[in-house]
Amino acid sequence: MKITESVKDNVSQVYIKGRFDAHTCETVDAYIREKMEKGRHQFVLNMEKVPFIDSAGLRVVLVIARDLRGEYQGDLRFAILQPAVNKVFEISGLNNVLRIFDDAETAAQSFSE
Amino acid sequence: MRQSFDFPADTSVLAKIGELATETGRAAGFNDNEINDINLAVSEVCTNTITHGLKNDPTRTFQLVIQWNTGEIEIFIHEAGEPFDPPDLKDPDLEASLEDRPVRGLGLYLLRNLMDEADYRVGRDGVKTWRMLKRKAEA
Ligand SMILES: Nc1ncnc2c1ncn2[C@@H]1O[C@H](COP(=O)(O)OP(=O)(O)OP(=O)(O)O)[C@@H](O)[C@H]1O
Ligand SMILES: [Mg+2]
Repeated sequence: MKITESVKDNVSQVYIKGRFDAHTCETVDAYIREKMEKGRHQFVLNMEKVPFIDSAGLRVVLVIARDLRGEYQGDLRFAILQPAVNKVFEISGLNNVLRIFDDAETAAQSFSE
Repeated sequence: MRQSFDFPADTSVLAKIGELATETGRAAGFNDNEINDINLAVSEVCTNTITHGLKNDPTRTFQLVIQWNTGEIEIFIHEAGEPFDPPDLKDPDLEASLEDRPVRGLGLYLLRNLMDEADYRVGRDGVKTWRMLKRKAEA
C-alpha cells in the first residue's frame, strides 16, 4: 500500500495505491488520522489505483467519515471507484451515506459548495 | 482440479490468497466481475479465520482448498480456532444513517451476496469449515 497526499485550498487529496484490506487498512487509518490531528478535516480519497476493498477497508472509511462529520464539520469523500470497489460500496449500502465522485477535481470542489 | 494450501494466521497472506483465487477463477472460465466476487468472498472468510478464529497468531495455520471445473468453483476454509456458532445471521441495516450504521457484520453479508452457496459446519474434531461455491451464470 502506497499513500501520498497533496493539499489545495485546505482540501487534502489522499491517493492510495494497492489492496485496501484487513492487512493494509490500518496504514490508511493511521495516515488520515495523523492529518486530522494536525487540523485537516476535508479529505478526498482518490481510489483510482485501488483494485480491491473488503469489509475492513469499508469500516475504516466509514468511521473516519463519521468522525469528521460529527466532530469537525469535515468529511471524507471519494473519487474514482474501480468497478469492483464500486460494487462493494453498493452492496453494503455505503454509496447511500458517503459522497462519491467520478473525478478528483469535482470531489475537491464539492467542499466549497 | 483441486489445490490445497496451508497459511499462517497473518493478514499478510491475504494478497497471495487473492492471487490464487484469481488464477483458479480464470482457469475455471469466470469473467473479471465474477472473479472479483470470488476474491472478496474468500478474502472475507480468510480474514475472519485469521482475526476471529486464530486471533492473529502466526504460529497457527488454516487450510484453504480450491476445487474447480469449467464454470464452477468451490472453496473450503478449514480452521480449528475459537469455537463459533453463526447466530441466525441477519442482514445489516443498509438503510441506516452514517451515525447509526453498525461497523461490523459486513463480511458474512458480502459472502452470502457474492456466492451462490455458502455454508458452515463444525466437525466432531472441532474443525470449523466454511464452504462456498459459485457457478458461472448461463450464457
Ligand atoms: N472463523 C471464525 N471464528 C470465530 N468467529 C467468527 C469467525 N468468523 C466469523 N466469526 C464471528 O462472526 C461475526 C460476524 O462476522 P463478519 O465477518 O460478518 O463481521 P466482522 O468480521 O465482525 O466485521 P467485518 O464487517 O469487518 O467482516 C464476527 O464478528 C465474529 O464474532
Ligand atoms: Mg469479517
